[in-house]
Amino acid sequence: MAESAARSTRIPQPSSPAGWILVGLGAAGFAYLLYAPVLLLESFLRTLGGVFMFATLALAWNIIGGFAGYASFGNVVFFGLGGYTVATLMAKAGWTFWPALVVAGAVGVLFAVLMGLPILRLRGHYFAIATLSVAEGMREIVVNMPSLTGGGAGITIPAVGLEATTSYPGNTGFYYFFLILLLVALAVTWRVSRSRFGYSLRAIHQDEDSAAALGINTTRAKVAAFALSGLLTALTGAIYAFQQVTIYPNRLFSIEFTVLMVVMAVIGGTGTIFGPVVGAVGLQFLSEYLRQNYLELHTVLFGAIIILAVIFLPNGIVESARELRSTKRIRFLDNVKANRL
Amino acid sequence: MTTLLETDGLTRRFGGLDAVSDVSVTVEQNSVVGFIGPNGAGKTTFINVVTGFLKPSAGRVVFDGNDVTGNRPWDVARAGVSRTFQIAKPFRDLTVRENVALGSMFGPGNSRSVAASLTDADEVLERVGLSERAEARPGELPIADTKRLELAKALAMKPRLLLLDEVMAGLRPAEIDNSIDLIRSLQKDGLTIVVIEHVMKAILAVSDKVIVLHEGKRLAEGPPKEIASDDRVIEAYLGERYAKRVKEGGDA
Repeated sequence: MAESAARSTRIPQPSSPAGWILVGLGAAGFAYLLYAPVLLLESFLRTLGGVFMFATLALAWNIIGGFAGYASFGNVVFFGLGGYTVATLMAKAGWTFWPALVVAGAVGVLFAVLMGLPILRLRGHYFAIATLSVAEGMREIVVNMPSLTGGGAGITIPAVGLEATTSYPGNTGFYYFFLILLLVALAVTWRVSRSRFGYSLRAIHQDEDSAAALGINTTRAKVAAFALSGLLTALTGAIYAFQQVTIYPNRLFSIEFTVLMVVMAVIGGTGTIFGPVVGAVGLQFLSEYLRQNYLELHTVLFGAIIILAVIFLPNGIVESARELRSTKRIRFLDNVKANRL
Repeated sequence: MTTLLETDGLTRRFGGLDAVSDVSVTVEQNSVVGFIGPNGAGKTTFINVVTGFLKPSAGRVVFDGNDVTGNRPWDVARAGVSRTFQIAKPFRDLTVRENVALGSMFGPGNSRSVAASLTDADEVLERVGLSERAEARPGELPIADTKRLELAKALAMKPRLLLLDEVMAGLRPAEIDNSIDLIRSLQKDGLTIVVIEHVMKAILAVSDKVIVLHEGKRLAEGPPKEIASDDRVIEAYLGERYAKRVKEGGDA
């Protein structure tokens, strides 16, 4: 039974020396990341924190968009709600950061359930358009409630001096916040991918009628996936808001965030555990490199590279690498057999 | 014999068309009931209404003494009714074994772990003769195996009532014989089975009772032999002129 369970999951098990080397490298990399703040420049820490943030957003999107196959184009709504919950509670109600963070997570879950129940009935393009509209609508609401949200002029979290409710954690602090959140998102994804819940989401992705006929409560599973995605995204937005100190609706509900999380998950590999992380790391560093070296052209080049990646790696980097490895091995073995080497 | 499934005046309208019209039937415990009828007779719509994929416009569905009219598909499935789809609907990115395991994982009352479900799946695959393809993807299977997989998914749920929507269509005669044997052995194990089929020979061979649907209505009902020689049935299937010719031929 244990053997069949191991075979059924798509997690690479270290069954070969190469596998153990990978695990060792992973552990060494993790140790390095923990120790990094001592070694690296503050500005680079900030960049790394941003990479972790996008990796978490892509992993959160992957739960609803990758596993369940419901491509949300409005996940930024959870990001913005999380950020504004923390900012409003800290600036207007004098809360400290940690309880505000908990409420931000709860707001993400609640909103995902309320929004998911009606719109998760829509499939394909219709779902994408509906989520996009909700996110855009929410931004307008936030802009038009200046007494609570500061409106278009933004809202500032008291971060220094006597008014600060929680002292500002600085670049090192936020680096760790984002690192921990990324690890949580990875652990959640890993758990989901092996669980009955994960199987039900994959079944829904591949054939929703067939899933329902097998006794899967598709409504409940989809709403749960959306809520989990909303929770992680709202927590990310909450930490981001505190890091930025002053936040604006146009930034926190920016469609650019949605596009980036979708593209990172898709290029890395939807429905996989590490795909979204690979996509986020690759695209963030690429974007940074282009910005520094091609100031004028960087968005054009970035866009072109994304288009090429989607055309040539339709299944994502992680899946394509796996296929390449397995086909190479077969060809090599065939060659050995054919030539009796 | 006790009744396992009963429909009472079941009706489903699509706009002005009554796809299923006032159909009242009973399916007895541990029997095999065949549903036949020409294309568009309402057979698949009937299954969709019974299993909750479509809401009925009127009428009731009673399963095992409980009114399940208009229940959601997963609730009907968990109550013990499993079905196959006329056009096979496998989960294309999962292995054959994982496909079947999903039935066991979420089926009636047996909320089983992933590992236990995979073990269950192996037993079901053995039974339908798909063990050797356990690690294949559904897309790699020939049509007969695709149909077997569809059946295996339904069986893994350990249902009390099995609704088979054209599981024999497109099969070769030898494969049809296999399916007939399988249905009989499932009946022996205590299952109640509703078979929808175009293959007359198969229906007549396995059914205890045959129900004929025509233009959404129940046209005839009875033991296979009676149905095979029923004038109205021949007419519905083959047209008035042919029925007349058969009759005249029989007289002469």
